[in-house]
Amino acid sequence: MIQVQGLIKRAGKNEILHGINLEVAAQSVLGIIGASGSGKTTLLRCLNGLERIDGGSIECDGVRLEAGLTSSAYHERVRALRRKVGTVFQHLYLFPHLTVLGNLIEAPVHVLRVPRKQAEAEAYELLAAVGLKQAARRYPESLSGGEQQRVAIARALAMHPGLLLFDEPTSALDPRRSAELRTLFRGFVPRGHTMVIVSHSISFLAGLADNLLYMEGGEVVEYGKTDTVLNSPRDPRTKDFVAQAK
Amino acid sequence: MTTGRSFSIFLSAAFLMLLTCTASAQQVLRWGADPSGGAPYIYTDPANPDRYIGYEKEMVDALAAAMKRQPEFVPTDWESIVSTLERGSFDIIVNGLEPTADRQQQISFSKPYYVFEQQLTVRKDEARIHTIKDCLTLHLVVGTLGNTAASRYLQKEGITFRSYPDPVAAYRDLELKRIDGVLMDVPMEMYYARANPALKQAGEPFLRGTYNIGLRKGDDALKQAVDEAIDQIIRDGSLERILKKWNLWNEAQVEMQAPIVAGKQGETISYDLTSVSFNWRQAIGRLARAALVTVLLAFGAMIIAVLLGMPLAVGQSMGPGWLQKPCTLYIEFFRGTPVLVQLLFLYFGLPAIGIRMSGTLTALIGLGLNYAAYESQVYRAALEALPRGQWEAAYSLGMSPLLAFRRIILPQAFRIALPPMTNDFVSLFKDTSVAYVISVWELATAYRELANASGQFLLLGVTVSAFYLLMSLPLAHLARRLEQRLRNRQALEVSESEVAA
Repeated sequence: MIQVQGLIKRAGKNEILHGINLEVAAQSVLGIIGASGSGKTTLLRCLNGLERIDGGSIECDGVRLEAGLTSSAYHERVRALRRKVGTVFQHLYLFPHLTVLGNLIEAPVHVLRVPRKQAEAEAYELLAAVGLKQAARRYPESLSGGEQQRVAIARALAMHPGLLLFDEPTSALDPRRSAELRTLFRGFVPRGHTMVIVSHSISFLAGLADNLLYMEGGEVVEYGKTDTVLNSPRDPRTKDFVAQAK
Repeated sequence: MTTGRSFSIFLSAAFLMLLTCTASAQQVLRWGADPSGGAPYIYTDPANPDRYIGYEKEMVDALAAAMKRQPEFVPTDWESIVSTLERGSFDIIVNGLEPTADRQQQISFSKPYYVFEQQLTVRKDEARIHTIKDCLTLHLVVGTLGNTAASRYLQKEGITFRSYPDPVAAYRDLELKRIDGVLMDVPMEMYYARANPALKQAGEPFLRGTYNIGLRKGDDALKQAVDEAIDQIIRDGSLERILKKWNLWNEAQVEMQAPIVAGKQGETISYDLTSVSFNWRQAIGRLARAALVTVLLAFGAMIIAVLLGMPLAVGQSMGPGWLQKPCTLYIEFFRGTPVLVQLLFLYFGLPAIGIRMSGTLTALIGLGLNYAAYESQVYRAALEALPRGQWEAAYSLGMSPLLAFRRIILPQAFRIALPPMTNDFVSLFKDTSVAYVISVWELATAYRELANASGQFLLLGVTVSAFYLLMSLPLAHLARRLEQRLRNRQALEVSESEVAA
């Protein structure tokens, strides 16, 4: 589904990501773990084109981003990429001036030009799937944190992305809500979604991710099957991090 | 003992000083006139800007000498000159003031010192106008000074006219074809129009009237002294000398001065001057019409400001480098210079490069351009108040920058910008009053003219304030309702769903 090769990202003179390589198979779940400042959120922002890469390449479902592209070609490909990638931000960024339904149909109606009736019907299905059908006509402000997050997820799903990116999805949830979210996520894979989840919470990823990637200082330290990374990591730094997190 | 003596010396010295002060204060003759565009009555000497010159200046010097007083000139504003005399800023008005019946209700007048006539001036190539009556039949617009014999005559005759604060502006608008003729007292016409090759006289001078010196009611001793002094400078020929020097001597003056020179007293000349009677019903009607102009100006200018302010804000805060500079320049220019100066420039400066707009259009565009600079800053603040994540969320859903701006950013920014926008609109409502300088008949102009003509400053002031409030209060109310609707929509939704649950 997505291949990243030698990805380099700089901020001014500082190199933030030093040649990242990773590959995510279709309909699999990749968890990215690491301490704050390890570069995992930056990596995620590169994957949906919010950050322009300075070296290497990203290839996602036939769309290829390279560092050497001209500005206009890069932007064109980023727009193509975004049709395939859905993002749920840590701070969600729901549109406060629109109802829940409005948040969901905004992009399908204005970007994909889906007829409003059809977009609304789909939106109701998605809301039913995340258990928020009754909230369709409400405004995001009036919802709880967990409900808002499910709206954000439904909003991303409304564009039918193959790849879903999540940045710290459990940061604002209590353990019970986290467990519910994991159940919800498990349902996405059989429906054809591929997921990349950045999270602090190893326990959240443990029963969900097929593979884990441990980042430190802008580099991939460890990358492998979830079981292997958690129980018999090769690198002592991974071992330390996992031990502390548990 | 010593201290007692020195104290009494001090006391008597102070008393003496006080005496001299009062004595010299009695010697001063404070006279008021409007020196702006005041030639040839009184105006700033072009060769020496610290000095005033003019035939009335020389006449007052002669009068004061006859009265054994020290003249002291108090510059004032023509249209409110009667009210300024009444509140005591000076003791006499010497400013080509006509003793009309309505003014005589407010102040008293000396005997006349000059007989004037009205002269109609038109453009050189004008073929339609031969006398003032042609302006009536052809429905042409005649310019004049506000609150003068000419303006009263035009009003009485039903001729459409526009009042100007000074003669320069009136004759310039005539040249620029904004009006079709100018009717003014001969002294002004001689000084400002006679030498202008683009203009010509239409018909002979007509409608005689006199200039008299205005005094506060009850200042009878001063009035007597002034009357005697006028007789004296007529008898000794000094007034004639002054008028001849200024090219103002003519047959009418001879007729007026003859009985005085012959020593006949009590035979003062006077002419039937048009006086306007103040009529409340008519005044309210004129105010209402002016209020309509104010409303149209304010709304029109606000529309321009909103439409232009948004691209300015976007250009300044998000545009490419080459666009940011000119946007910032525009904003700094229009915010940093007075709107009054901008209007004068647009009205009198632009015709030099061939752009000629009517006063109302100039005010509309000038205020619009000015307020666009302010609105742009309101929008910029609103745009920058939104979290960057709103843009990123929109981009992540595949929106283009333009779509994201239109559908996601703009509606949110509008909510933030609404209260300061309302504030600016109310302020714009009041700023329309500067359109007075380019002779737009809006509410503040109407107030000035009506109040000066009638002396009803208090009552008219209250009425005009009521007009402004009648316009701005519903506006503020409307904006608050809109804000509340935008804000409470969510709250409403919550309570509804709770009731449903």
